[in-house]
Amino acid sequence: MQGSMSGSGRGSSRRMGMESFGGKPRFRNLKDGELTTTEEVPEILKKRAQELLDNGEEVKVSVSTDLKFDGTYGKDWVLATEKRLICFNQKGVIGHDIQEVSLTAVENIEVLEMYGNNILKVTTSDSAVELARYSKRLEPKFNLTVSELERLSSSETSDERSGGRRGLGRGGRQRRMRGGRGGGPGGNPQAQASGNRSRCEKCGHPIPTWSGVCVNCTQNSKLIFRLFKYALPYLHVMIPAFLIMMLIRLIGLYPAILSKQLIDNILTPVGNAVASGEQLPVTSWGHLQATVDTLGGWFGSMPLGGSFGHLIGIVILMAGVRIFIMATSSIRGFMMAWVGQNITRRLQNETYQHLNTLSIDFFHERDTGNLMSRITHDVSRLRDFIANGLQDIVGDSLTLIYMCLIMFFFNWKLALWTLIPIPCLIFFTFIFGKKMSKVYQVLWKRYANISTILASTIPGIRVVKAFARERYEISRFNEMTHQVFSGEMNAAKLGSLYRPIMEFITFSGSILIWLVGGWQIFQGDLTLGTLFMFQSYMMQFFGPVRTLCQMNERFIRAGTSAERVFDILDTPPSIADKKDAVALANIRGAIEFNDVVFSYDNEKNALNGISFQVQPGEMIGLVGHSGAGKSTLINLITRFYDPNFGAIIIDGHDSRDIRVKALRQQIGVVLQDPFLFEGTIAQNIGYSKPGASRHEIIAAAKAANAHDFIIKFPDGYDTMVGERGARVSGGERQRISIARAILKNPRILILDEATSSIDTETESKIQEALERLVRGRTVFAIAHRLSTLKYADRLVVLKEGEVDEIGTHEELIEQDGTYASLCQKQTELSRIRAW
Amino acid sequence: MNEAIKVTDELVFLDPKTLMIGKNAFGELIVELLDGSVFTKVEPVRSFPVTETLRYISLLDEEGNEIGIVEDVNKLTPNARNVLTEELQRRYFMPKITKINSVDGQYGVTRWNVDTSQGNVEFGMRTRYDIVTLENDRVLIKDADGTRYEIENYNKLDPKSIALLQTQL
Repeated sequence: MQGSMSGSGRGSSRRMGMESFGGKPRFRNLKDGELTTTEEVPEILKKRAQELLDNGEEVKVSVSTDLKFDGTYGKDWVLATEKRLICFNQKGVIGHDIQEVSLTAVENIEVLEMYGNNILKVTTSDSAVELARYSKRLEPKFNLTVSELERLSSSETSDERSGGRRGLGRGGRQRRMRGGRGGGPGGNPQAQASGNRSRCEKCGHPIPTWSGVCVNCTQNSKLIFRLFKYALPYLHVMIPAFLIMMLIRLIGLYPAILSKQLIDNILTPVGNAVASGEQLPVTSWGHLQATVDTLGGWFGSMPLGGSFGHLIGIVILMAGVRIFIMATSSIRGFMMAWVGQNITRRLQNETYQHLNTLSIDFFHERDTGNLMSRITHDVSRLRDFIANGLQDIVGDSLTLIYMCLIMFFFNWKLALWTLIPIPCLIFFTFIFGKKMSKVYQVLWKRYANISTILASTIPGIRVVKAFARERYEISRFNEMTHQVFSGEMNAAKLGSLYRPIMEFITFSGSILIWLVGGWQIFQGDLTLGTLFMFQSYMMQFFGPVRTLCQMNERFIRAGTSAERVFDILDTPPSIADKKDAVALANIRGAIEFNDVVFSYDNEKNALNGISFQVQPGEMIGLVGHSGAGKSTLINLITRFYDPNFGAIIIDGHDSRDIRVKALRQQIGVVLQDPFLFEGTIAQNIGYSKPGASRHEIIAAAKAANAHDFIIKFPDGYDTMVGERGARVSGGERQRISIARAILKNPRILILDEATSSIDTETESKIQEALERLVRGRTVFAIAHRLSTLKYADRLVVLKEGEVDEIGTHEELIEQDGTYASLCQKQTELSRIRAW
Repeated sequence: MNEAIKVTDELVFLDPKTLMIGKNAFGELIVELLDGSVFTKVEPVRSFPVTETLRYISLLDEEGNEIGIVEDVNKLTPNARNVLTEELQRRYFMPKITKINSVDGQYGVTRWNVDTSQGNVEFGMRTRYDIVTLENDRVLIKDADGTRYEIENYNKLDPKSIALLQTQL
C-alpha cells in the first residue's frame, strides 16, 4: 500500500509543481513564517485522535501539511505524543484515514526530498509509514518537526537509542546537504534560513534569489524617502531653487491680475469717456506722470480712469514680470540640472561600484542588458524624479492654491462656478493616467526585450552566422519592434483621445465662466477685467491638474526604478568577508577539502562530499567527465562560491574566514578562453599586478613564451587588443594570459583547460610556459587532454561530484579504474588523429 | 617557500658597456657580444614603440630570434648609441603632427590634411577607432595604410587644430 501511495505521489509531482506556479496569490494567506510545531488542530480530528490516546497522554507536536497524499492541495495533520505518532490522511476522500505508529518502534525518521515536494517517512523494524507530504514551502517547518520528533523518540526510548541515533544521523545528513535552506537537527531553522531566505518572513512572498529583499514588502514611499539621501548633499542648491520656483509660480499669476487692472481701471473708463465724448489728457508729460504713477502704485489700487501713460505703465510691468520669470527660471533650470547630473553621477558610480563587489552568481542570474539599463535608464529616471518631479508636484499644488485664493478673493461666487469642471478634469486625467501607465509599463518591457535581444545576439553573432540563423534572429527582432510599434500605437491612441477630451472640459469651463460671469456683469456684480482674469486662470488650471493627477504614476515609476537600482545596492555579496576574517599575507598553499558539499541550485549537488589534502607546491590534476564537478571545485577554491557544507581549509584556515581579496590576490587563473580587456598588450599583462614595471612585463611575457610574438607586432607591447583591437590568435591570447598569471606570481594557480583549444605546436610552447609557471606553486589543473597533466604530482578523478580515484599517474594506471580507461581511450583517439 | 621562479630568469639583457653595435659595408647592422659572437643583419625592434622609444629595444638576428634586449639606449657606448638610434629612426617612421589643416568626411572615414615634423601630408582614415588617446593628452593616429602619426599633446596644438581633432575623438 505504501508503495502505491508514494508511487502516485511521485507521478503527480510535476503537475503539482506547475500548479503551485500558477497559484501565486496563495502565498499571501499562508503564514509559514511562524514556524511552530504546535498548531491548533481542528475539533473533529482532535476527537478522533483522543480516542487513540491513553489517559494523560499529551499531544506534543501537531503540524499541518499543505498537500494530501494524492498530490492535490489540502491539509493533512501529523500529531505526536511522547508515545506515538498519528497521521491523518485524506487520500482525496472526505474524512480522514488515521494511521498510528508507536514511537518506540520508530527506527528512522527521514525526509524524502523529491521534485517539488517532500515526504516525511518513518521506518520501523518491519514496515514504513509515510506521515506527511508537503511542498517545499513547508520545508523549514517540517525540518523543525523532524528534530522535534527525533527529540521525542530519543527521550522516550532509552533502549532504542542506538537505532534512534542512526536515524538522526541519516536524517540530519540528508538535510545538511540542502545547505542553508533547511534547519539541521536541533538548530534554529529560521536563523539558518536567513542566510538564503527563499520567502519573506512578513508576507510569505517568495524572495528573488538575486535580490534578497522582498519585492512585495518594499514600499514606494520608503524607497522614495531613501532617494532623498541622494539629494541631501545638494540641498544648498536645491532649497534656493525651490524658493525661486515658489516665487516664479506666484509671480506667474500676476499678469492676469494686471490685465484685469488694465481692462477695468484704464481701458474701460477711457472707452466710456471716448464713448461719451470727454476730453482725454494728451500732454506727453501727463503720460510720463501717469506711467510713473502706475509703476509706483502697482501694489495699491489703480486710479479710476487712465491715460495712455497708465497703459504703458502696465505694459511695462507685464513685460517686466515676464522677463523676470524668464531669467529666474533659466537660472533655476541650470541649478537643477547641476543637481540632477550630480545625483546621476553619484547613483551610477555607487551602483557600479557595488556591482563590482557582488558575487558571480548575481551575474549568472541577470542578463547584461537588464543590468546595463538599470545603471543608465533607471538612474536617469530617478534623477528626473528627484530633481524635477518632486518640485513640480509641490509647485503645481502651490499654483492651484494661489489661483483659488486669488479667484475667491475677487469673486467667490464665480470662483465656485469655475471649479465645477475641475473634478471632471481630475477624474479623466486620473483614469487616463492609470491606463497610460499600464500601456507604458508594457511598452517599457518591450523596449527592454529589444535591448536584451541585441545584447545576446551581437556578442553571439558568430553562432548566429555559423548556424545560418540570421533570418530567424531578424524575424525575432522584427517581432519585437512590431510589439513596440503596437505598444506605441496604443499609447498614441490613448494620448490622442486624452488631449481633445481635456481641451473640451477646459472649454466647457470657460463657457461656464462666460455664462455665469456674463450674467454677473449684467447684474453689476462683476467687472469685465475680472471675467477675463477668470478666463485666463481657467486655461492655466489644466497643466497643474494634469501633473498632479500623474503624480501617482510618477511615484510608481520612480518607485520601480528605485527598486531596480536598490536591488543592486541591497544585494549583499553572498561571498562577504566575515568581520574577523584574516588577511593571509602569504599563503603557503596547503589546501584541505573536508567533506565539501555544494549545490548551485539547491536541487542537485554538484559536489557531494569531497575530501582530500593538497601539499604546498603540489600540482593536482583534476580529471573527470564534464559535469563531474571539476570546475565547481575550482569555483570554490577561488571563492566564487562557498561550500554549503564541509569546509575548504587553506593553511589551516577555513576559506570562509579568509578575506576574499587577500585570497584572490594569491590565486592565479588561466582559463580556457582568456579574456583580454580593451587596452594594450602591456596593460593586459600588467592587469594582474597594478604598477608593474615594463621590465617585469617583458620578463613575464618572456617566461610565458609570448615575448617573441609580441615584439613582432608593429606596435609591440603597445599593440591594442580587445574587442576593437588587433587580432590575436587563441594561442597568443592564452600566452598573454599566462604572462598575466606569471606576473602575479600567485601561490595557488588554477589552470582551467588552459591548453584545450590550441594546436599541438602552440601547445608545446604553452606547455613550456606552464611548466615554468607551475614551479613551486600549489596548482590545480583541469584538462581533458591528459597529456597536459603529465607534470601533475597527483591526479584526482572526480565522478558525479565525488572523488573516484586519487593517486599518481602510475598508481592509477595500475589500479585499472576510471582513469586508466580514460587514458586508454585518449591514446586510441590520438592514434587516430595521429599527432 | 620562495622557490617560485624569478620571472627575470628568462630575459637576456645585453650589457650596455660591452655591447658593440656597428654597420658593415652593406649598411647592415652588426652586433658583437662580449663572448665574441657576432651577428649580422641585426634587426632592432622596439618593445614599446608607442610608449618607450629608446628603452627595451629587442635585437633580433637574421632568423628573427632574439639576441637580447637593450634596456636603455642611452646607457650604450656613444658609438653604439648613435648607430642604434639612427637605425631605429630609420625603421620607425612616425611623423609628429604639428597642425591640422582640415578634416573632411564623415562616419569616421575621413581625409586629413596635416602639417607634420616631416612636412605637409594628406592621409585617409578608415575608422575612428584608429585614433587613440593615451595618457598626457597624447594622440596616436593610424591611417588607412598603417602609417602612424603622433600628436605629442593635443592641448598644445593651435585652437583650430584642437577643434578639428575633437570632432573626431
